[in-house]
Amino acid sequence: METDHRELVQGTLEMLVLKTLALEPMHGYGIALRIEQISNGVFRVNPGSLLPALNRMERSGRVRGEWRSTENNRRARYYALTAAGRKALEQERRQWDRQIAAIHQILEA
Amino acid sequence: MLRSLMAGIRALLRPTERNAQIEEELQSFYDASVDDKIRSGMSPERAQRAARIEIGSSEMVRHKAWSAGWESKIDSLLRELRLTVRRLRKSPGFAITAVLMLAFGIGATTAIFSIVNGVLLQPLPFPDADRLVTLGDLVSGFGWTSPGFVTAPEVMAYSRDTRSFQSLGGYAYVSYELAGVGQPTQIHAGRMTPSVFSTMGVAPLLGRVFTSQEDRQKAHVAVLSYAIWKSRFSGNPKVIGTTIDLDREPYTVIGVMPKNFEFPIWKGRQLFCELWVPTSFSAQDLSPEGGGENWSLMMVGRLKPGVTVEQAQDDARHVAAQTMRAFPLDLSNIRIQSVVFPLHAVTVVTARPLLRLLFFAVAVVMLIACANLAGLLLVRAIRRQRETAVRRALGAPASVLLVQTMLESLVISVSGGILGIGLASVALAVGRSFLPEDLPLTSQITLNWTVAGFALLLALLTGALCGLAPGFAALRINVNASLKEGGWSGAHARFRSALVVAEIAIALILLCASGLLLRSYMNVSDVDHGFQPGHVTTAAYALPQQEYPTQARVDAFNSQVLLRLGQLPGVQSVGLTDGLPISGSGALFVADGYIDPRGPGKTIALSSDVIGDFFKTMSIPLIRGRYFTDSDNANGQLVVIVSHQFAEHYWPNQNPIGRRLREGTPKSATPWLTVVGEVAAAKLNRSNEDGDSEQFYLPVAQNEKDAGAYATPADLNGNSGHIVMRSALPPEQTEDALRAVVNSIDPQLPLTQVQTMEEIVAQSTAPRRFNTVIIASFALVAVLLAMLGIYSVIAFSVAARVHEMAIRIALGSQRGDIQRLVLISGAKLAAVGAVIGMAGAVATARLMRSFLFHVNPLDPVVLVLAPIAVFALALLASTMPARRAAAVNPMEALRGE
Repeated sequence: METDHRELVQGTLEMLVLKTLALEPMHGYGIALRIEQISNGVFRVNPGSLLPALNRMERSGRVRGEWRSTENNRRARYYALTAAGRKALEQERRQWDRQIAAIHQILEA
Repeated sequence: MLRSLMAGIRALLRPTERNAQIEEELQSFYDASVDDKIRSGMSPERAQRAARIEIGSSEMVRHKAWSAGWESKIDSLLRELRLTVRRLRKSPGFAITAVLMLAFGIGATTAIFSIVNGVLLQPLPFPDADRLVTLGDLVSGFGWTSPGFVTAPEVMAYSRDTRSFQSLGGYAYVSYELAGVGQPTQIHAGRMTPSVFSTMGVAPLLGRVFTSQEDRQKAHVAVLSYAIWKSRFSGNPKVIGTTIDLDREPYTVIGVMPKNFEFPIWKGRQLFCELWVPTSFSAQDLSPEGGGENWSLMMVGRLKPGVTVEQAQDDARHVAAQTMRAFPLDLSNIRIQSVVFPLHAVTVVTARPLLRLLFFAVAVVMLIACANLAGLLLVRAIRRQRETAVRRALGAPASVLLVQTMLESLVISVSGGILGIGLASVALAVGRSFLPEDLPLTSQITLNWTVAGFALLLALLTGALCGLAPGFAALRINVNASLKEGGWSGAHARFRSALVVAEIAIALILLCASGLLLRSYMNVSDVDHGFQPGHVTTAAYALPQQEYPTQARVDAFNSQVLLRLGQLPGVQSVGLTDGLPISGSGALFVADGYIDPRGPGKTIALSSDVIGDFFKTMSIPLIRGRYFTDSDNANGQLVVIVSHQFAEHYWPNQNPIGRRLREGTPKSATPWLTVVGEVAAAKLNRSNEDGDSEQFYLPVAQNEKDAGAYATPADLNGNSGHIVMRSALPPEQTEDALRAVVNSIDPQLPLTQVQTMEEIVAQSTAPRRFNTVIIASFALVAVLLAMLGIYSVIAFSVAARVHEMAIRIALGSQRGDIQRLVLISGAKLAAVGAVIGMAGAVATARLMRSFLFHVNPLDPVVLVLAPIAVFALALLASTMPARRAAAVNPMEALRGE
């Protein structure tokens, strides 16, 4: 197993999930896999955080979940971004950019 | 937001469904992960193991997913609640005592207050009742209080000339003989202008109300009350158009009012109207010299929106000024001043001091109950000190412990409150039948949710506070110290003792108050009425004008009654009077040789017209002179009998016999009447009003002559009043005989209020009895609660000192000594409480003054007996724990440690 697997940066899980779902509807494992792949294996999302997060986001109306069958003919709950979710993603992204820029400035100073 | 709420509620209601969903999603995650790993070349077994490692504990995931929603918080709270209930069930003694005590306090206060509220406080059952006002006159020289009376011409003038009222109407009480439906009976009715209905804003249930045209044309129409419609017409909807006889004249029923329409309302009084007829003023009623001198009507109005009571009053005073300019000569000294009061203020004005007292009592009883609850919860916290310390030592977070204590006290206060409200509604349902019959509006007595809510809130607050205090105390526990020690802390004991002392003090104050009321009540019952009520039977009658149009007919009836009743076996004497002692109205008069410092035309006393052996029947003692005789008739000298107080006031230190007085004002053309007798003042318990003792009596046979120039041929004297009859036989027999005789003279004439004079006397004290019973029941509850408090304190301290007692006994102390030790600790608390309570009682005695009758607010009997009683009861409450302490088996107690 790779040694530099990391847990996500605090508070970014929702944003990353939203970003992942912006491309297409996905089920839980797909989201975890996609995040791991795109981050080149740096971030790993375990279901213990992902599933509650998805639940929470569904409750607040940012994603919509429904049971569908997968390509392997299994049942899985697929999540799709809602309009509110799209707005939330933009907002969180702007905020994140600002924070990153600020941290950069501090580090460069 | 809404979605979250709905989803949460669904999850709470069906927890298994929610769990299954989480489970399924987790499973699908796992499956996908395994598939993925197999695809990338792992063997199925390895893939499964790797996936399981990745996911970790599925239980943990499930728990996390479940906790993500708000419903999990509720769920854990519910779980805590179940635990709390289970814990309380483990100490049933504590739980039952606390719950019952609260239930008792809340139940008693809610029930008692609901009664008072129903009788006295209910808002008026009219729309926009805050705009309803009364309009009346303050007449100089007449001691009227609000709302004041008006004359018939004034009803017209005020209605016509004021601008502040949306509508304004006049009304008066009358009583009629009702016949034509069932047994003839005497009923109360309201004579009202039609505008009273529109003023009150209540539409009839059936039919219609009368019009102003009908009022002007003196149409014989009547509107029924719901009660009489139900009782006399068995709720028949076809009643409209039927005919009834009022005083033997036919009236057409044109409407029925709804159930809650009661007007005029006098809260706390018995008068209520069973039907309503138009005022139908006669020309005589409206003339300045006729009805214009008779202040006997009342007015009620609805203010225009935005008009204040003061504006309306100013408006009315302009009209009154015009009225005064048109006064006839004999009224020229009279000044009238219009007064406007909110209707609600007038209806409850007499009840206000009682209400203040009751609020005080309710608050006090609740306070005691809450103090008891606080004490009990504190004891529990102290008892659990060790447990708390252990749990803290084992790492239980402070917040969890705090939530637990809070929950416990909340569970107790809520269940106590609910039980209490239940008790109150049962007590009301049962108690309604025991209420005094002369209490009006008893139908309106329902559970008062405001008070119930208030009591519940107070209990919750106490629960929360008392849960917090020991909770925080527990948090500050020095774990080491309390694990080692095991005793109860001194500060807590002192606090608890202070609570009990306060309870005893408060209970004592209430007990003193009820003692004073009881003494007043006894004094009122013992009061010298100036007559002997025993063996006297009375009945009221009113001769309808239709059948008795002339004085001769009236006189024939009266003399027949006197004659035939006098012949009954056992009857000693019979008389007739226009008012039982002495409800005659105030009459203006002029006393010879007396100059009234209040000015001319303001001399007033109670007057009563009598026929036959009235004085002998009532046994009113003769002080000087003689009673009336048969020769005091229209042909004889005009005579009058005065009361002792009357003579003292107007002819002080003189023999009143032979002095003269006449009716009316100095300007009235009335003849002089000569005083032939001086008697003791007769009165029911109109206790405090000493002016009522100034009375004079006139023989009915001379009424016409007494009136001088004001007499008219149409006048009828002695056509209504009360028969009084003294008999040696028991009242049941005399009542039947009396009915039979009157029935044989006029079979249609209804007799009302056939009762003994003793019953009438008892009724007159009923309101006072009501007050006394109410306050006494509050005091009883308070004393019981305080006893419970002292018992629990002593019992607890004994339980906590079992060890100590055991050692004492083991070391040779006598059981009697132990008992004494415990009793003394109870007595100490009681003594301190009693001293403080006495100070409080003395301080509040002044509040009581207006309720007392011939009792000093600092009555020594009450102020000695009440503390002795409290002290004795406190000792009694300590006996049981004292016995238990003395019965400690030292071997067992010491081994148990």
